[in-house]
Amino acid sequence: MKKNSKSFNSSPLVEFSPETKDRFIKARQKGTRQWILAHLFYKSNKYYIFTVFLLTILTVNLTSASMIVLGMAISEFLDGNNSNLMFYVIVILILGVSGPVLRLVNSALREILAQRLERDVRKEFFANLLGKSQSFHDQQKIGEIMARTTDDVRMLNFMVSPALSLILESFTAMIIPIIYVAIFFPAQLLIVPIIFVITFLYALKDYIHKIGPVTGIMRAEFGQMNAVLNETLTGIEVVKGNTQEDAELKKYFGKAKRYRDAFVKQGYIQAKYLPLLLFAITITFGLAHSIYLYTQGVMSIGQIIAYLGLIGLLRFPTFISIFVFAIVRMAITSSQRLLNFMNEETDIDENPEGVEKLLDGAIKFENVSFSYDKGSSVLKNISFEIKPGQTVAIVGTTGSGKTTLTKLISRLYDVNEGKILIDNIDVREYALESLRSQISYIEQDVFLFSTTIFENIAFGRVSSMEEIEEAAKQAQANQFISELPNGYNSEVGERGVQLSGGERQRVAIARAFLTDPRILILDDSTSAIDSATEDKIQRAIHNILKNRTTLIITHRLSQIRWADLIIVLRSGEIVAQGTHEDLLKTSDEYQKIFIKKFDISVDQLLKEGEKV
Amino acid sequence: MAWYGLEAEKYDRIYKDKDLLNRILKYFSPYRRKMGIVTLLLTLTAFTYASIPLLTSIAISNLETNREPIYLVFIIISIFSLNCLAWIFNYFRQKYSSMVIGDIVLDLRQSANVAVLDRDLSFFDKNPIGKIVSRMNTDSRDFGQIVELTMQVLSSLLMIIVLLVFMLFINITLALIFMISIPIFFIIAFTYRKIARRMTLLGQRALASVNAYVKESFSGIQIAKTFRQELKLYEKFKEVNKQSYDVNLKKGFVLVSIFPTLAATQGIILALIVYFGGNFVINGQLSVGDLYLFLQSLSMLFFPLLVIAAFWPQLQLGLAASERIFALIDKSPAVVQHDDKKPELKGKIEFKNLIFHYDEGKEVFNDFSLIIHPGESIAIVGHTGAGKSSLAKLLARFYEFQGGNILIDGISIRDFDLKAYRKQIGIISQTPFLWATTLLNNVKYGCDSATEEEVMDALDKAGGADWIKDLSYGLSTYVGERGSLISMGQRQLIVFARTLLQNPSILILDEATASVDPFTETRIQDALDKTIKGRTSIIIAHRLWTVRHVDRIIVLDHGKIVEEGNHDDLMARGGKYAGLYNTYFRHQSLEYIEKIKKICEEPEV
Repeated sequence: MKKNSKSFNSSPLVEFSPETKDRFIKARQKGTRQWILAHLFYKSNKYYIFTVFLLTILTVNLTSASMIVLGMAISEFLDGNNSNLMFYVIVILILGVSGPVLRLVNSALREILAQRLERDVRKEFFANLLGKSQSFHDQQKIGEIMARTTDDVRMLNFMVSPALSLILESFTAMIIPIIYVAIFFPAQLLIVPIIFVITFLYALKDYIHKIGPVTGIMRAEFGQMNAVLNETLTGIEVVKGNTQEDAELKKYFGKAKRYRDAFVKQGYIQAKYLPLLLFAITITFGLAHSIYLYTQGVMSIGQIIAYLGLIGLLRFPTFISIFVFAIVRMAITSSQRLLNFMNEETDIDENPEGVEKLLDGAIKFENVSFSYDKGSSVLKNISFEIKPGQTVAIVGTTGSGKTTLTKLISRLYDVNEGKILIDNIDVREYALESLRSQISYIEQDVFLFSTTIFENIAFGRVSSMEEIEEAAKQAQANQFISELPNGYNSEVGERGVQLSGGERQRVAIARAFLTDPRILILDDSTSAIDSATEDKIQRAIHNILKNRTTLIITHRLSQIRWADLIIVLRSGEIVAQGTHEDLLKTSDEYQKIFIKKFDISVDQLLKEGEKV
Repeated sequence: MAWYGLEAEKYDRIYKDKDLLNRILKYFSPYRRKMGIVTLLLTLTAFTYASIPLLTSIAISNLETNREPIYLVFIIISIFSLNCLAWIFNYFRQKYSSMVIGDIVLDLRQSANVAVLDRDLSFFDKNPIGKIVSRMNTDSRDFGQIVELTMQVLSSLLMIIVLLVFMLFINITLALIFMISIPIFFIIAFTYRKIARRMTLLGQRALASVNAYVKESFSGIQIAKTFRQELKLYEKFKEVNKQSYDVNLKKGFVLVSIFPTLAATQGIILALIVYFGGNFVINGQLSVGDLYLFLQSLSMLFFPLLVIAAFWPQLQLGLAASERIFALIDKSPAVVQHDDKKPELKGKIEFKNLIFHYDEGKEVFNDFSLIIHPGESIAIVGHTGAGKSSLAKLLARFYEFQGGNILIDGISIRDFDLKAYRKQIGIISQTPFLWATTLLNNVKYGCDSATEEEVMDALDKAGGADWIKDLSYGLSTYVGERGSLISMGQRQLIVFARTLLQNPSILILDEATASVDPFTETRIQDALDKTIKGRTSIIIAHRLWTVRHVDRIIVLDHGKIVEEGNHDDLMARGGKYAGLYNTYFRHQSLEYIEKIKKICEEPEV
């Protein structure tokens, strides 16, 4: 039966093993944390984590040990014993330098882990996006996709390095010194640091709880402020032309004031960061307690200094916690955004065992209705018929459903009601691959890859230079291409910016000549500034129409005038269809275009037509 | 990104340090009292924090000499109180300074906004909007951060100095070891910064190329899918991604090594202090309490030093940021009015021996003269660069001209109250600009008091209002950024309605070139018809229909009038206009539409 080969995701392209892929896909559905964990423990990553863990414990041990040694040294100094001085200095030097060296190794490992995570998550995300259906991509803004693939993925990197490793270090730096206290000092000295840890965790939780939302608000307000200013300046001519400077000033000031308020609020919360006070109190109490034990004769001065040194290690988690948790929080939000994208399913069934045949190109819409995502219907009860080789012009205002109508033919979307037949077979019966390979689509704003003109024309089919040139000639593109400094090897720049809209369109037409689709959909809404360019576009379109069924979405009266069938859409419904002559007689709206534009009567118009 | 390659822009002035500081202080002056409090608290915090290790060392020294326990209790209570005080001082310091900084940044933003909105359009031609926005919002934010940072650094510096003074009194040798360590910290930190900065830049570039590739891939996803070329995209992506991984990993290695290096230096200095200090203690030249002060100071100073070293360059950047904002505020507009006349305009326009250029040496108009009568409609045609838009923009007073004059109803354009003048001028630019709000608000823009009926009436005049009903929320439909959610043609209709609502005496219209579906096009022709009727209209024409319907066509060539008259006469003359017609208007004619099929079937010439 129909196998739901959901394309790229499950294809062997991605070099993750099938088990890993399964694990990732399952983890994605389970949620952010599961998915992050799956990546953290992917392949050799877990060994890195293990090593980082070990090294962190070792480093903190070295620091703690140096405190103990320092205490011992001071005790000996006090006794006036200088025989061990060099020994202590060397031990302190070794401990003091080896700790940072281990930390260096540790940091390098966590950096590798972080970068690998970024690299692999990005691959997973990119491959997943490539596998999504066209309908998914139609609804996405490129900016959104870019922000996710770069910034959001990068947040996961920051989450590992520095955030998670610092958190790990913080916890270790809280536990290990306390263990040292337990081993080397009277048990009652544990009281102060343990109370600190407990109160610290409470205070920290409270702080994170308060600062998180404010930081979020601040970021949002900053964005708002940018947006408002950007809009005002973009429309500066309109502002000045309508003398609305004062209103715009007020608008910006309002936003800037809101940002200021959020900023001040954040400042208040930061000022109230309680762990700093807790730490200071802890040090004082630790001092008092150890001095008390000294007066009882239980401790030496050297031990007091060692004890204070160990408690001093708690300073690190106290300071670092101000910002690390914010990073983790942001990373989780980012992961959520990534998962929202990846978990979205594509609903077009590829039907690989369906009909495969060379199309004649007869198209028939039977009572087709369609809506996106159960919204209001975009197309209502559309019926028409096109014979093989005919040219159909689809006309209507923006939003009348023209583009949607054409997208149903190649099953970029599936109809909700009714059916679409090609050569009298429902489009859903075809193998999607076979169907799509015979339908070409030339968009309104033609996209070119940032490579050479040659590569762009040959994108759909590997071709020889002769074939490319012939196609370019047919598309009226040969002339401008050969006038470029490097001819067919000229780079077109990002998105083809080096070329004008009309030139890009003709490159796309040349591309279509090579693939020779049975059905062509041409969204031709660009306008030519001058008549000479218009002549070229007309010829190119005239050539590509031959021997194939073509649907043109167009504003050009010249294309509409000569189409075999004109379909007039309004709010998703066909309000008129027929040839130019038919519509001049039957459609008031259609008549009015010509009458108004050329100051001419319908009879005269019909007569003009007969003359040709 | 704000760190790299910020090239000096046109409106950058180089301020002398003294002037810059004065300017900054001027913004602080309304908050003098609060700043006084902040400074006081800052000093108090520094002293309190410095006194804590001192007191601790005294307590330890006391243990050695076995002083009265009550004395110890007193010291411990003092330490406790000082710790609490330091926190409280810092709390109020931070609270006050965030208030002051928030207010100053707000003031800066407002004065920058006032200054920017006052500029004429030549300013916006030269400075991209993104840059202005980032100056006003990001640079001012950075400035605020610098103020906060400076305070923290000053507080740390003060603490270091206080401690150093005590150390010098206690033991010169140890104090010197200590002082040597400070420049070493700085040198290491600065060297790292340099390398780190370069690596970060490389890392960002690598990521930027990933970003660019993602953009390209998904902009062209439809083509890739149609031609089944996803694999090709993925293979290339892997390369770009791998490259970013390699570069960023290297960057990561560099960045993470600074902290261990500094810590190792600290370890060496610790060993030195233990060696010398130990000897002194054994010889009885130093008390253990004092040795403790040195050890404690070493660990306390590590963080502040790191902060100072790391943020020194940022401080310079902050000064640069403030300089940029002041430069933005200080520049004066080129368009200046000499008087504030507010007459009601009839609409007679006279260009008198006008001289104008955007850039020195590239004259757009040299001795240009033209009279337009009240109520007359004029189409201006000509090749690109003939000066068509310049004419319209000068009339809107968006730019200053260099010679001659423009008279409206016989009054120099420089003598009007600018706002009163512009209220009577309707300007429709080539690309219709809409605000990201409702359709209703867009029509009402500049005419807040208009009722919904008046708006509907204006829309009705502008080609018919029935299309509004087809929108899901009618007049309340949100049109999106720049109107992106509605079609180009509909945007044009809205702008026509906006202009009709204001009922200006003079209309300046730069006709859109973007193509519009034929139904909307018909409406636009209707709207245009109604808008130009009975008022002085200057239209930069791109449509055949327009040139055939105006009272007079002016043919411009390199800033000169080469022909004028109506369409039929000029066509009959067979001169420049006829040439322009053949270049720009021929394909819009009925004749062309009827003949095109035949033309295409003929072989190319």
